[in-house]
This record gives sequence, C-alpha cells and structure tokens, in this order.
Amino acid sequence: MFLRKTKSQGRSAAWRIAIWPTAAFALGSAIAFAIMYLLIAKDIRQRSDAWLSGEAEVLADVSENTPRDALYDRLVQEVAELASREVPDTSDAHGKHQASVLFLKTEPRQEPIWVGPTPKELFIPAVTSMPLVPGVPANVRVQGWKKAFRVVYHGQKDGSGLYLGFADLGGAQMLDRLTERCLMVWGVTVALGFLITWLAAYRTLTRVERISETVSRIGSEDLGSRLPEGPHFDEISRLSRTFNRMLDRIQSSVNQMRILTDSVAHDLKSPVTSIRGSLEVALSDADQRQWRERVAEAIDGLDRLSQLLNTTLDLAEADAGALQTRKEPVELSDLVKQLVDLYQPAMAERGHEVVTHLQPALIEADSSLLNRTIANLLDNEIAHLPNSCRVNISVRVKDGEAELTVEDNGPGFPPGLRSRAFERFVKGQHSTGHGLGLAFVDAVARAHGGRVEISDRAEGGAVIVLTLGEAVNEKVGR
Amino acid sequence: MRLLVVEDDSAIREFLNRGLTEAGYRVDVAPDGKSALALVDEEVYDGFIVDLGLPDMDGLDVIGRCRALGHTAPVLILSARRSVDERVRGLEQGGDDYMTKPFALAELLARVRNLLRRGAAPQMEAVRLRVADLELDLVRREARRGSDLVQLTTQEFALLEYLVRNAGRVVTRTMILDRVWRMRIDPATNVVDVQIYRLRNKVDAEGKRPLIHTIRGVGYVLKEN
Repeated sequence: MFLRKTKSQGRSAAWRIAIWPTAAFALGSAIAFAIMYLLIAKDIRQRSDAWLSGEAEVLADVSENTPRDALYDRLVQEVAELASREVPDTSDAHGKHQASVLFLKTEPRQEPIWVGPTPKELFIPAVTSMPLVPGVPANVRVQGWKKAFRVVYHGQKDGSGLYLGFADLGGAQMLDRLTERCLMVWGVTVALGFLITWLAAYRTLTRVERISETVSRIGSEDLGSRLPEGPHFDEISRLSRTFNRMLDRIQSSVNQMRILTDSVAHDLKSPVTSIRGSLEVALSDADQRQWRERVAEAIDGLDRLSQLLNTTLDLAEADAGALQTRKEPVELSDLVKQLVDLYQPAMAERGHEVVTHLQPALIEADSSLLNRTIANLLDNEIAHLPNSCRVNISVRVKDGEAELTVEDNGPGFPPGLRSRAFERFVKGQHSTGHGLGLAFVDAVARAHGGRVEISDRAEGGAVIVLTLGEAVNEKVGR
Repeated sequence: MRLLVVEDDSAIREFLNRGLTEAGYRVDVAPDGKSALALVDEEVYDGFIVDLGLPDMDGLDVIGRCRALGHTAPVLILSARRSVDERVRGLEQGGDDYMTKPFALAELLARVRNLLRRGAAPQMEAVRLRVADLELDLVRREARRGSDLVQLTTQEFALLEYLVRNAGRVVTRTMILDRVWRMRIDPATNVVDVQIYRLRNKVDAEGKRPLIHTIRGVGYVLKEN
C-alpha cells in the first residue's frame, strides 16, 4: 500500500516535470510554424498579384488598341485564353480539371466576353457586383469555389470593364501540403519531446525513490547498510553520497554512544564497588589507623569518579559544539613552561629527561582549557612511558600556526590504537586511564581552530603535534 | 561568625553544617528559598552559602532578595553546573565566589575564610612568617629552618609560603594548583605530591621535626605536630 502510493507519487512528479517543458516547446514551435506559414502565403500572393497586374495591363492595352471590328471580340478572347494558358490548369480535390484563370470583358450594350471556368452565370454576377478599385487586386469569392479569386479590374474609355481573375490553386495546394506536414512533424516532435522528458524525469525520480526506500528501510538495527552510489557524479549520486556520509556519522555516534554507555557503566561500577568495599571494611574495622586508611582510599576513588564525570561532561559539551571558550591572548610558550615546571619533578622521579624548545607563540585561546589539555598530554607521558625516557617539548610557529609538539623515545602507540586514539574510551590495553584524554585534547584543539596529530617516530617513540590556530605574534608587533 | 547555608540536599546540608560548626562558625540551615528569606528577615549573617538549584526558587533570586534587603555579607555560590557562563552569571548577580560540586570540605572552608576576611579591616602585610623554627622572609624570599638556610626554587618558595600562610589548615591539591600555580587543572598523575615530596625533603631535612604532613584522601597541612 505504502509502496504503491509512493510509486504513483513518483510518476505524477515525472508527469508534472515533463508537462511544462513540453507545453512550452509545443507553443513555441507552433508560433514558429505559423509565422513561416504566413510569410510563405504572403510571398505567393505577391507573386500571383504581380502576374495578374501585368497580364491585366497587357489585356487592357490589347482591348483598347484593337480596332472595333467583327474580329474584335474573337481577338480579345484569344489573347485572354493565351494568357490563361500561362498558368497550368490544376486539378481540384476530385481530380477534375479546373481553369484557374477568369477573364471578363463587359460592354455596355453587348454580351460580355467570358473566358474561364463554367458556368459563367455563376461567376459574372459575383465578379461585377464587387466594388473594385481599378488596378488593385482584390479577393472575390464565388459560390462553390473553395479558393477565392484574385481579381483585378480595369475600366476602359468606352465604358466597358475588363476583369482578370486568378485562383492560385497551385499555391493553395502547396500551402495545404505545407500545413499538413508541419502539423505532422510538430505533433510527432511534441510527443517525442514529452516522452523523452518524461522518461528522463521518471528515471531520475526512480533513483530518488530507491534512495528514499533504502533510507526508510535503514532503521537503528541496520545502520551498516549504505545506498549504492553509482558511477555518475550527478546530483542524485551526490545525494546518495551525502546520505551515506550522514549514515556514517550517525553510525559512528550510535557506536560511540554504545561504547560510552558501556564504558561509563564499567568505569563507574569498579570505583563504586571499591569505594563501597573500602567503607564496609572500615565499618567492620576496630583499628582506627586502618579505618582512616580505608576512608582515604574511598575519597581517592571518589576523586577519580568526579574526574571521570567532569571529562565526560566536557566531551559531551564539545560534541554538542557547546564547549565554551573564553579566548584571550595567551603566550603559549609561557603556559607550557609553567606546566613543564609543575610536571618536571614528577617526570624526573621516573627518570625522564625533559628537554624544551620554546619559541614565542602568542595565540587567542582559552588558557584554562589549554592548561587542562597540556596537563593531559603530560599526564599521558607519565602514565605510558617506561622509566628513563627522553621527552622533547617544543613550541613554535609554523606556517602562521602555533604548534606544540610532545615527542618521546618510548614504545610509541600500541598497534591499532593510533587510528582510533581520539575516540572516547579508546585506550591502550595496559592503560590505567579512562580513555578520554586524547578525545578531550582533540575537542579543545578543534574549538581553537586547530587539530591534533599523532604518529610514531621512525626511530621509536610517539609524537603528538597539537596545532592551536593562528599565531598573532606579528599583529601585536612582537 | 554567623553563616546561613541554603541547600536543598539534606546530606550536603548536614555535612556543611557539621563541617562549618567544627570550624568554629555558628551555622543556620535552610532547605529552600522561602525559609532562607524568612531567616534573613530576622537574623543578621556574616556570610551566606547558597545552592543555585533550590526547589522553590533560583538561588540567584535568593541572593538578589538578600541584597535588596540590605544584606552586604559575602555570598559563596554552590552549583552542580560547571559552565563558565553559569559562573559568570552567578558572580555578576551578587555572588562573591563560586564552587562546583563535588568539592572538598577543606576547600570550602578556605574559601569561606577568604570571603569573611575580605570584609574585615586589612591587616598589615607581614614581612616574615614563622611556624615553629621555620621562618620565611617574604622580602628576601628566603626560608630558614632554625639557623640553616633552606635552598628553594622560586616555585618551591611560593608553595611553602602558601602552606605556611595556611599553617594548621588542610589544603587540597586543587587548592595548591589554583593558588600556587594559578591553574584550574585536575591532573591524573601525582604531580602535586612529587612537588610536596621535594619540598618536604628540603624543609623537613633529616634530624628536623617534620612540619609538612599528608592527610590521606584530602591533601596536606603544615603544622608543628
């Protein structure tokens, strides 16, 4: 039911898309044909009118200059017949030969001279009753004749009148044939155009339809399936690609959400269990010194819990794009130096040698977030390096961007971890952290228009490069 | 010194009451905005501790009403919300300090002490600080244990000065980082402990009576015994 409904909607959309261009095309081509028809018809009439006027003048001349004797009528008639033979007779619709030229000479006191189609009784009154301007061809309609005659009139000095008429049946037929063919071609073109437009629209919409069917099929259970992207690079393929990218993002957030829920549950459960355990032992312990120890353990566990909560909340804010930054000019090298001073003893205690190369790099940044970020990186070094390593920390401006590099000669990143290191709760097998550190570093870097890149050094050890956006050293004239 | 604690969570209210009373303050508690305002109407307090999320009204409104009634005593805001904006809003609308939950009681006590001192007449800035046989010369930045000069770095001196100024009171790691290093960070490693350990090696050298003590689960205290 649902499927059928959407299909018919697709068809009607194809219909709607096809009908308008077709209508516009039909109208335009009809107008073009009409203009062509009118121009040709006008040309034909002008030609026949020119012939008619010339012939009429010759005839008027002949009848004027021929002496009025017994042969006069005969002579005029023959000249007229000669003239009429210049135009080949044409057959009418029934194949009957029809004379297409008429000649009439009216005399005041005699029978009129008539050369032309029969019966002349039908023609003579029709021709003579027309109010004609001498020398100017005009249309005369005769009953029973489809085509009007172009008739030109010449008055003569003796009061007689001379009419020459011409029904251009050949021209008319040509025009009829032209019209007929034009109509045929027009009809076929319009039909074909409509069909092609409709087919194209239908095919395109079918692809759209397939996308919507697939997308509607993809529920939360089936987030792995993707739309076929096809070999084309048109809008529809881009739509598929866009949908696929969106599905990628949705899938990864759903996965992250699952991991997050699982990890939070797991990470909360173990400290809660140990805190509870410590306190229970404390309650049943009579020795006060032991008792204090248990309570202190419980507080340590609670501190870890609240740290986990805080970082999780920060990351949730960062994911929602709501990581609030209060940016102010910060000298990155000073900030790093302070943190290194703080961390130096803890590093030295583990036998690490810390070497710093700090160049001035003034940036617009949230110093509180930066402190936490860099502390995070240094915590990482302490937590993951075996004893007696060398840690290089450098700040510099590269391509206008402030860059902090933390480099060590330890074991590097565990295989398989590097590509996923910025995902929440991803941590090394032996890591005691909660797997949020680098994810937080990444979020802060992005909030500052920068990025984090991690890699392994060729000679062993890990490199973390934190880029923190444009350095403003020059702007303040340092 | 008389304090009013406005907090709806009974567990937190009770622990604040007990902690502050033990620290020597006279404490009144109110579970909601209405009863807080009723108390404010009758009593005069030297300080307020107000939770923002009260059941009947916004904590900020309670502070506003107190201010409108003419109370100028300092206000410490408690909140579960950690956003920077929330903090700024709280401090703009009459709060004098802001703490997010969860917090250590030691830190709360330190902040309350600070706030109450703010209202008092400024004391003469001391030039020398002394605890037992430990003496700090704040002008020459020198520390002596008895007659022996203790060689300290600038940072170590700042740390020792902070401990000495708070002699007898427990300071947490967060407080040390905030006051000595001016950083609001929460290290996952024992950086502060190592700093204290180094300082202790110098100050409480062999043969001397230990002054710097670790309070497990809370922090450190510098005291004579």
